[in-house]
Amino acid sequence: MCQPAPACTCGSTFFTAHVTMKYSRFLTQVSRNRQPSLIREMTNLLVQASPELVFMAGGLPNAQMFPFQAGSITLKDGRALTIHPKLMMDCLQYSPTPGYPPLVKQLKTLTQQLHSPPRWAEMDLIVTAGSQDGLCKALEMMISPADYIVTQEPCYTGTLSILNPYKPQYLPVCGDQNGMCPEALKAALSKWKPEEVQDAEKDVPKVLYVNPNACNPTGVSLPADRRQEIYKIASDYNLIILEDDPYYFVQFGDRKNFPPSFLSMDVDCRVIRFDSFSKILSSGIRVGYVTGPKPLVERILLHAQVSLLHAPAMSQVLVSELLELWGEEGFFKHTEAVQAFYLEQRNAMMEAAEKHLSDLCEWAVPTGGMFLWLKVPKIHDTWDMILERALTKNVILVPGKAFMCDSSKPSQYMRAAFSIVSPENMDKGCRNLAELIREEMVLQKTVGNSD
Amino acid sequence: MNYSRFISKQSSRRKPSCISELRRALENGSPSLVWLASGMPSPEKFPFREMTVTLEGGKQLTLSKEALSTGLQYGPSQGYPLLRKQLKRMVEQWHSPPRWAESDLLVTVGNQDGVSKALDMLLDPEDFIVVPDPCYSDFLCMLTALAPQIVAVGVDDEGIRPDILKSSLEKAISSGSTGIPKALYLVPNSCNPTGTNMSEERRQEIYAIAQQYDLIILEDDPYFFLQFNEKQLTSFLSMDVDGRVLRFDSFSKVISSGLRIGCVTGAPPLLQGITLHMQASCICPPMLSQVLIHELLTFWGDEGFKKHISDICQFYKDRRDAMIQALETHLNGICEWIVPEGGIFVWLKVLHLNDTSAMLLERAAKGDVVLVPGREFMVDSTKPCPYMRAAYSCATPEEMMKGMENLAKLIQKEIELQSTHK
Repeated sequence: MCQPAPACTCGSTFFTAHVTMKYSRFLTQVSRNRQPSLIREMTNLLVQASPELVFMAGGLPNAQMFPFQAGSITLKDGRALTIHPKLMMDCLQYSPTPGYPPLVKQLKTLTQQLHSPPRWAEMDLIVTAGSQDGLCKALEMMISPADYIVTQEPCYTGTLSILNPYKPQYLPVCGDQNGMCPEALKAALSKWKPEEVQDAEKDVPKVLYVNPNACNPTGVSLPADRRQEIYKIASDYNLIILEDDPYYFVQFGDRKNFPPSFLSMDVDCRVIRFDSFSKILSSGIRVGYVTGPKPLVERILLHAQVSLLHAPAMSQVLVSELLELWGEEGFFKHTEAVQAFYLEQRNAMMEAAEKHLSDLCEWAVPTGGMFLWLKVPKIHDTWDMILERALTKNVILVPGKAFMCDSSKPSQYMRAAFSIVSPENMDKGCRNLAELIREEMVLQKTVGNSD
Repeated sequence: MNYSRFISKQSSRRKPSCISELRRALENGSPSLVWLASGMPSPEKFPFREMTVTLEGGKQLTLSKEALSTGLQYGPSQGYPLLRKQLKRMVEQWHSPPRWAESDLLVTVGNQDGVSKALDMLLDPEDFIVVPDPCYSDFLCMLTALAPQIVAVGVDDEGIRPDILKSSLEKAISSGSTGIPKALYLVPNSCNPTGTNMSEERRQEIYAIAQQYDLIILEDDPYFFLQFNEKQLTSFLSMDVDGRVLRFDSFSKVISSGLRIGCVTGAPPLLQGITLHMQASCICPPMLSQVLIHELLTFWGDEGFKKHISDICQFYKDRRDAMIQALETHLNGICEWIVPEGGIFVWLKVLHLNDTSAMLLERAAKGDVVLVPGREFMVDSTKPCPYMRAAYSCATPEEMMKGMENLAKLIQKEIELQSTHK
């Protein structure tokens, strides 16, 4: 059981001297095997080609024959994005694997602005079909069957579903109302001395997964000092940090006070950061992006080259045009509006929870995003209660076990999402949940469950 | 069929997410059910309100509020239900698969992602995969990464040679490996890169061999709609009495390549692993793309779609004719080729060169014409290859003429260069 961490006494950060990472140590054999697709590479040549060049190398279909000629999107603020014929061709034709060039440029500018990565010149950024596809390819790049993986626990189910088929050796790290505990991270790694594992390639942990803001499922965020401690530990043990940050823009509070990202403190060039538009622009269009050290992003790129080829072109064009129309000011105005919406939802959820669940559940108030992580101290495990009985009480949540690395262990937790539920239904839901829990407590007594 | 023998260890460990199981509860839930389970973002804050597209001919399609809303939110990993329904009807119509009742269809992020995930689903490292030689180069890239045991089978004007296929499979089986020949990959129509079509008889022969050796057939058919002859050749899916075919269809050549939409049809036990991998990676195929294609297909109906395909075939047939004319004008006696009956490629053999790679990669751009060196498509890319692949899809007839003229000059120069070095 995770103990609350003592206040950080490390003062200002101290990092080791400039690190030159040996990235090949992190790659699976499959990833090392990857070679560029020549056809994709040759298609990129087209961009710089002279007008005299007769290009017969790419298997490009003729975009003239695509049935959509033009288009128009009206925004909620009344303005319109016009997709004129030339732009429609960009929407409909094969796109370079790293992403639609104007969008890549915009995202690089945004990333530099928000994070000022200390080793930006050694990094690259590519567009992915949703941030999760980037994460999936990053994990597939580094994890072989039975490998170690250091991860926060509870952990996002999507990440577990990527990892579980590898039957990895999980090194779960617990947290509290301030996220992952650095002490718990140290304890998880204590089996090894840093100097033993720094360069080792086998049988050592090499990857750390973390969801630093409005974590799924706990709803809490890591403060700056913890991030620095965690970074230091990752540096000592030579771990790649996978910073999965889809709720970055839905943190509550002034943007100026957002804690620094792992990317922004990445003096070693060991962070791969995953960004998403799914919560602020659209989830269905499948556009996200990954930023990280060039040699590692290149491996992800090579995988994309032979699988989905590129993130959907029209989706990328729409995001690019929208960002162009809004400009920086408009973009942040929008993210603030989204943030305000989720804050209202959270407040309504808190009201409902306090009204109905304060004697039955414990929780930390979410500092962003859309999830409330409820603990039911008087219940041994929430799984059966939810999967077998919750329907009769007209409320469904996700049982905590789903977020555990070891799904055979009981969990007293449940995750409630407050993104698309009305305040009336939140009230109803919490009331129903209270009934469900009370009945479960009686049931447990009757069945004679210990603990 | 015993499908479990085909599933890789990795794939067999994939499990559905808890949330998708909970979603089943939603189907049985009362209207008073308060759903607090899924982490769907609120579409209220998505900034797009309306979308209109103009089709060829000027007709405008406006997406309904519901359709746009669907396009902007997460959807099922298997694909947008309305599009899946349409595609299933189309597949049934064109192929009448003998085991249609025991088949299913998934939407994929382009057909190539379907192929990639099928390989992940099927192959353990010790397994054998059978490929034609030459083979689509991106497929070879997938195999370079996974590094299974490759059974390369020589081809003739119709594709994979049955005699070589049999002898290669025998060799693989008696090699003492722990792996098994799992699957056979082929592009039966306008094969990439050779541009050849596999005849009816050949298809039957290959299917019979696949039965004999219990192989899954990966039927990759992106040029299905680009066949210039009226008669449609029998797909492997349409002769699939065993349920051993995974068929990959694509809209990239006929509707849009950039929208990234394709589909895969086959037996549910084989599609399951692909779905679960999709769930873990992209989550779902792009919804907006799927909604647009659904709207288009609805608007067209069967007639409209047939007309569009017919227009496309005519377009590419004209391009092919222009290409052949350009070849005959400038490359007679320099290259050999087979006239393609569909698709977008011509596979050229240079008569007096051992290998085309250096010429195309180092000197062609300056010579103002670029083709893909044949070596890229050979399973053993270390051996010299006198072939090249030309795509005639985008060049105008004038550009083709100029391009072939440039190519002839380039080849002559290369022949001289090589004889100087001898």
